[in-house]
Amino acid sequence: MVNILLCCSAGMSTSMMVSKMQSNADERGIEATIWAVPEAEAEANAAKADVILLGPQVRFLLDKIRAVAGTTPVDVIDMMAYGMMDAPKVLDQAIKLIGHE
Amino acid sequence: MATPLDGFMNWMEKNFMPVAQKIGNQRHLVAIRDAFISIMPVTMAGSVATLLNVFFRDLPNTWWGAGNAFTEACTQLINVNVNVFNGTISILALCFAFTLGYQLCKAYDVSPISGGAVSLAAVVATMNFAPEFAYTLPGVGADAVKALEAAGLTGLTVTDAGAVTMSVTGSSMISTVLTSATGLFTALIFGLACSMIYIKLIQAKLTIKLPDSVPPAVNSAFVAMIPGVLAIFASAVVTQICVVVSGAYPNDLISEFIQRPLLGMSSGFFSVLLVQFLIQLFWFFGIHGMNVLAPIIEGVYTPALLENLSVWNATGDISQMPYMWTRGSFDAFTMMGGSGLTLGLIIAILFFSKREDSKTIAKIAGPMGIFNINEPVIFGMPIVLNPIYFIPWILVPVITSAIALGFTYAGIIPPVYIQVPWIMPAGLYAFFATGGNIMAALVALLNLAISVVIYLPFVIMANKEQEKQQAQAA
Repeated sequence: MVNILLCCSAGMSTSMMVSKMQSNADERGIEATIWAVPEAEAEANAAKADVILLGPQVRFLLDKIRAVAGTTPVDVIDMMAYGMMDAPKVLDQAIKLIGHE
Repeated sequence: MATPLDGFMNWMEKNFMPVAQKIGNQRHLVAIRDAFISIMPVTMAGSVATLLNVFFRDLPNTWWGAGNAFTEACTQLINVNVNVFNGTISILALCFAFTLGYQLCKAYDVSPISGGAVSLAAVVATMNFAPEFAYTLPGVGADAVKALEAAGLTGLTVTDAGAVTMSVTGSSMISTVLTSATGLFTALIFGLACSMIYIKLIQAKLTIKLPDSVPPAVNSAFVAMIPGVLAIFASAVVTQICVVVSGAYPNDLISEFIQRPLLGMSSGFFSVLLVQFLIQLFWFFGIHGMNVLAPIIEGVYTPALLENLSVWNATGDISQMPYMWTRGSFDAFTMMGGSGLTLGLIIAILFFSKREDSKTIAKIAGPMGIFNINEPVIFGMPIVLNPIYFIPWILVPVITSAIALGFTYAGIIPPVYIQVPWIMPAGLYAFFATGGNIMAALVALLNLAISVVIYLPFVIMANKEQEKQQAQAA
């Protein structure tokens, strides 16, 4: 079971990514809970997540989110994968980050 | 791509990110932004109520004349909306005073609920509870003024309508001028200052220590006591000094010498174009420009919108609205499909691009673009650091802003005064944001068409670029 938190400015464009990632995870038989929140709610949601991924448009918040995330790994979604809504690639990125910790 | 350009891009990236980072980490600015976002449900309710009354009352009155049967039948519905307005737009400076204190305390890890209450109390402490107002003397005609003055009454004025009013000083009441949009900057300044006093005193441990035998819940209630008392007293003392020295309450000075000039300046031509330019520049480096600049945009353009809304409800007269460009103007006229008016770019690509990569992105991004989400375009095309699209990317919002501002200054369309959710599709946003103005919707669609025309040559240029690359590869 993996918990993946996505975060962008209003949580709108990442919510699109969430639904694509969720169906990709289901196809691959990965048990995952994936959800998106606006930047302001990241802190409140951080504890529930195994990994936090930021939309590239808010990558300047990386240090700030890392500071509130504690030991949870935080990274920025690959720009091109984000733009192409390439869910499998983003899911791989998330799983790899969890594996590293 | 040429190396000097790459060097420039790297230099900008290196110098741009820290600016965004700094604003994003500046706790006061972020708290101001989040405080404005927190009152959104309240301002949205007021906007909906105003909009409903436009359709129940204002538009029917202009179509069929005052006292028409439709508006008469809607009287109670109209009154419901008036009640909503009273509970929202009329007191939003109070809501903001609370949310600002709350967000600041949250940023500093201090109990936010007490902090919000202290901030609200400190802001109310600046207000005049004995306001002067004009009382209309019932049944008194202009011819009676001389006799009344001879009897010793003062402060009498004859209005244009022939009624006689007397200047009266009330007691135990606050004017909604202070609690509505006009009071926002006072709430911001005093709320910020007093919350910071409160926070710093708590952090300095200027708190009452009770013996360990006291239950923790009781103890924590005492923690906020001295800082709260001092913060509210500070506000009251500054207010009294202000009254004694200048003869006016803080809000009179702040709204006249800070709020009005600042909002007036920022809704002017040059400022709007500058803000647009900066938003686009940030986005060009893949950074959410609206998000970075949100403290400024929310802090300046939102009060301007709310003030227009208050003026509309007070006078029902569009020409009296003080600000030509407000928070919603950006979305209504220059951000169809998202920042950079990318709906125009998507249309240009769907019809004129020969590049499969661009067309694929346009198809992914199209449905989202209708609801003004454009990250796929920005990162997929990509727009980010793409020299081909740099010029239209900057040009489109600047030109479309200028067009919309021109129409507004000419009085052809009203300024934006109603809050609309940002996912509202092109044209509809402008229609609702201007209180159901069809001309405004047409201006938005005109801007969309103009953006297609501006993007078009660059879409063709991108076609040629790819042909050249393929020729070189072959």
